[in-house]
Amino acid sequence: MPLDIEFRNVTKIYRNREMDAVRVPAHRFWQRWFAPRASVTALNQVSFAVQRGEALGIIGQNGAGKSTILKLLARITAPTAGEIAVTGSLSALIEITSGFHPELTGRENVFMNGAILGMRRKEIASKLSSIVEFSGIGDFIEVPVKRYSSGMYVRLAFAVAAHLEPDILLLDEVLAVGDFAFQRKCLARVDQLKREGKTIVFISHDLAAVERLCDRVLLVSRGQVAHEGKPRDVITEYQQSALMAAEPPKRVGKMSRAVECTGFTYAGRDAAHPESVRTGEGLTLSVDFLAHQAMSGLMVNVYLYWPSGYLCAQLSTDLGGFAVARGAGRIEFDCPVVNLRQGLFLVDVSIERNAEVIDWRYRCAYLRVDPGDQPAAGDLYMAHSWKVSTFRPAYPAAMSS
Amino acid sequence: MRQTQVLRPASLSARALWDDLARLVSYRDLFITMLQHRIRVRYRQSALGYIWAVLQPVMMVAIYSVVFALLARVPTGNTPYVVFAFSALVPWLYFSNGLLLATNGLVSNASLVLKVYFPRELLPLSYIGAAFVDFCIGCAVLALAMAIYGVRPHATLVWIFPLMGVATIFLIGTSLLCSAVEVKYRDVGLAMPFLIQLWLFATPVLYPLHAVPARLQPFYTLNPMVAVVDGFRSALVLGSPPDLQLLARAFWISVVLLVFSYAWFKRSEVTFADEI
Repeated sequence: MPLDIEFRNVTKIYRNREMDAVRVPAHRFWQRWFAPRASVTALNQVSFAVQRGEALGIIGQNGAGKSTILKLLARITAPTAGEIAVTGSLSALIEITSGFHPELTGRENVFMNGAILGMRRKEIASKLSSIVEFSGIGDFIEVPVKRYSSGMYVRLAFAVAAHLEPDILLLDEVLAVGDFAFQRKCLARVDQLKREGKTIVFISHDLAAVERLCDRVLLVSRGQVAHEGKPRDVITEYQQSALMAAEPPKRVGKMSRAVECTGFTYAGRDAAHPESVRTGEGLTLSVDFLAHQAMSGLMVNVYLYWPSGYLCAQLSTDLGGFAVARGAGRIEFDCPVVNLRQGLFLVDVSIERNAEVIDWRYRCAYLRVDPGDQPAAGDLYMAHSWKVSTFRPAYPAAMSS
Repeated sequence: MRQTQVLRPASLSARALWDDLARLVSYRDLFITMLQHRIRVRYRQSALGYIWAVLQPVMMVAIYSVVFALLARVPTGNTPYVVFAFSALVPWLYFSNGLLLATNGLVSNASLVLKVYFPRELLPLSYIGAAFVDFCIGCAVLALAMAIYGVRPHATLVWIFPLMGVATIFLIGTSLLCSAVEVKYRDVGLAMPFLIQLWLFATPVLYPLHAVPARLQPFYTLNPMVAVVDGFRSALVLGSPPDLQLLARAFWISVVLLVFSYAWFKRSEVTFADEI
């Protein structure tokens, strides 16, 4: 397959002379011309390629260099070193409303925006009615856009963009505009472009959208490509690193830790690879504890959270509680069927007594679930069996008449 | 057939400049649309609308006529002062309005520069185009004024085409340079109204060229607008062809400036988005 985009050792450094708030002209002058420049390396020797017809997703934290890649591809700025080869016509849908002028009517703005995005005037004129229909603006097309609601504004802009026919499409968060119905329309258009074999580069924080749309994902971190591979893998990697960075494991407990949680482990059913947990198969979760004194009425909970942070499931010992002697011990929870879909889940462990927390290990582990043998979409996997039955036609006479 | 473009760090070469020019030509549709846009937006939501394009030069002529003809009594020979001043103000306003608007052309469209690619020179050029439309309106008003004052046009008026050509080359050259520098140093835009005021007095708009002392003339005529404005007036009103030696010099100065400015502009264009 030919390569449509090739980054070869691309470095981008933003230079700015630091200007402080001193309002003495001579000082400012000095700073302007002679003060050392502060520089920020946004991209450092980045190389990657995109094949024709491929949809590449680029994810990463704010400031990692995603937007710089987009700007370089869109030719908004030039690299400091290295080179980028782009084969074919490229359209960037980045903040598509930026070409709009409030005083001009919708129709005039369609021509302006279309021209800025690289369409010929004749082309725009022939597509005008289709653009208006796509946007759902109707008669407002003859009204200055300053009278539009913000939704209409964006809808009209996207309608223009949707009528582009580029070889390569750059997408930003632009899909997250308009109401639900309009978003579906936009996604349908992007899907259509993808089916037509257009090359797509999609830069977004919407990981679900990236996973849905992209064939391959780059994880950008601190100006470099940290990871590259299948969407699910890279997204999981990214979530893991982002969560680790954001929330260091910590302990919460009210009582002096008479009973302490000392460890959490889990194992799947495959003895050779116990770390592999798969949807639809079995799972054992183990909580290790250390009791500094004999105690009764204890209860141990394991909480699993979605990557988004919502509580997904709770596993717990009986409400009646159990008793332990002084010393170390272990509690094992056995799940015959894992109903979770593939993904990375966060784990809390708590030890309680009479509804009072003795020890709480907050986000103390990650539970990674891999896909099972069966196809499974949706939030949960429901364990099920199935069979086929065949019946004789119920009303053969009626059918034949 | 798909073409491969290689995006590289900012550089300067004749080959690259040639490619830039070719790309500019391929973006002519955007130029036309931008020009329409400038003209439409200019007077929108003003009660008088396009009448302002007429009112502005008329009011300027009225003010200058009072000051220079009635009070300072500038000698203009047989020509009425109104026609004398108006015939020079029309090309002058083309230059000064064009320069003033084009200098801010990039900065006032920062949102575009930050978000979309197109040859950036289209922004200043579109303002120059709009100033040219105003110039055409000004010419119509000038014709009317000449009719009212009984000044007959002469056959030498065909000279206004090469004259305006030189003015346009010079205007594009200065605008590209000023707008590119303005991106980094807003001082240019802030100083521009004063500069233009100064420039007006350094150009024979309100007074005749022969009023300038002979020993200052070699320096004075380095300003290409001297040849343009003086030539415009003599071709249209006085019936004598422009000073060809002056015009040739103005032409070469303008061309050299344009080449330099365009190279400068394209060299800094690639980082406009980082600095705007």
